[in-house]
Amino acid sequence: MAERREDEQAKNESFARDALPWMDDVYRFALSLTRDPADAQDIVQETYLRAYRSWHTFDPNSDCRRWLFTICRNAFLRSRQQGRLEVDVTDADAEAIAAAREHRAMIEDGTDRLLASVDLGPALDRALAGLDEPFRSAVQLVDVEDQSYESAAEILGVPIGTVRSRLFRGRRQMQRSLGVHARDAGLRPASGPKGSRGSQRHA
Amino acid sequence: MPDEIRSIDCNTAVSKLWDFLDAELDDEKMREVQKHLTECSDCLPHADFNRRFLTALNEARQRNIMPPALREQVLSALAADGYFPAR
Repeated sequence: MAERREDEQAKNESFARDALPWMDDVYRFALSLTRDPADAQDIVQETYLRAYRSWHTFDPNSDCRRWLFTICRNAFLRSRQQGRLEVDVTDADAEAIAAAREHRAMIEDGTDRLLASVDLGPALDRALAGLDEPFRSAVQLVDVEDQSYESAAEILGVPIGTVRSRLFRGRRQMQRSLGVHARDAGLRPASGPKGSRGSQRHA
Repeated sequence: MPDEIRSIDCNTAVSKLWDFLDAELDDEKMREVQKHLTECSDCLPHADFNRRFLTALNEARQRNIMPPALREQVLSALAADGYFPAR
């Protein structure tokens, strides 16, 4: 009896030490999945209940935050009664080159210079929230939660190459949104130089 | 003898730029992209812009914080499941 009580106490102590400190991070990830604060709170609660019930399966030498993100994503998918999201096959390197080409256009029309002078935070939050899945999860995990490509792949249950392509596509779409933000805010010049020497360089 | 860092072209550098900024390349490729950016005034602005973009995006951590009541809500749910905080 006393032994069981000690086991329970050890479980609670390790759970409080290793799992509870990540609640903020799990909430941000849940919010990025649901895009709704109330739904995100439900997912966080579900995540922690599931984590607590299966705490005996957690390897204390592994990354608890990654483990919680995986549970969180599974809880989200269950809540939406979705299966695994379809794997999108795109060429990540081509995405990176396309992003540079679009940035080149932003340099040419002056958007890049103007964006450097404003607070990008609110525009980035809107751009991230506006991203479709599966791109949003990849950006949230790698760029906001500092997960490696390998960790994000494990959490999302996809190959690393798929994380790269989703991530790079998501970033490119967000950068495009920043251009729209600049235009809406009246930052973008009415016209810019066309066909400068650099426009074909990375094509 | 010091290792020679291979020269790469703009296309190769730009295609690896995100991986470079994420420090996801092996050491040799990291050095190759770094060397190219040091020498190429066309590619450097892309790297600077993307670095700025990633820094601002990462700051979302500070902007999107959990509602204060959620922690208590989760702890209550856990308590109903047998969790008790360490004394």
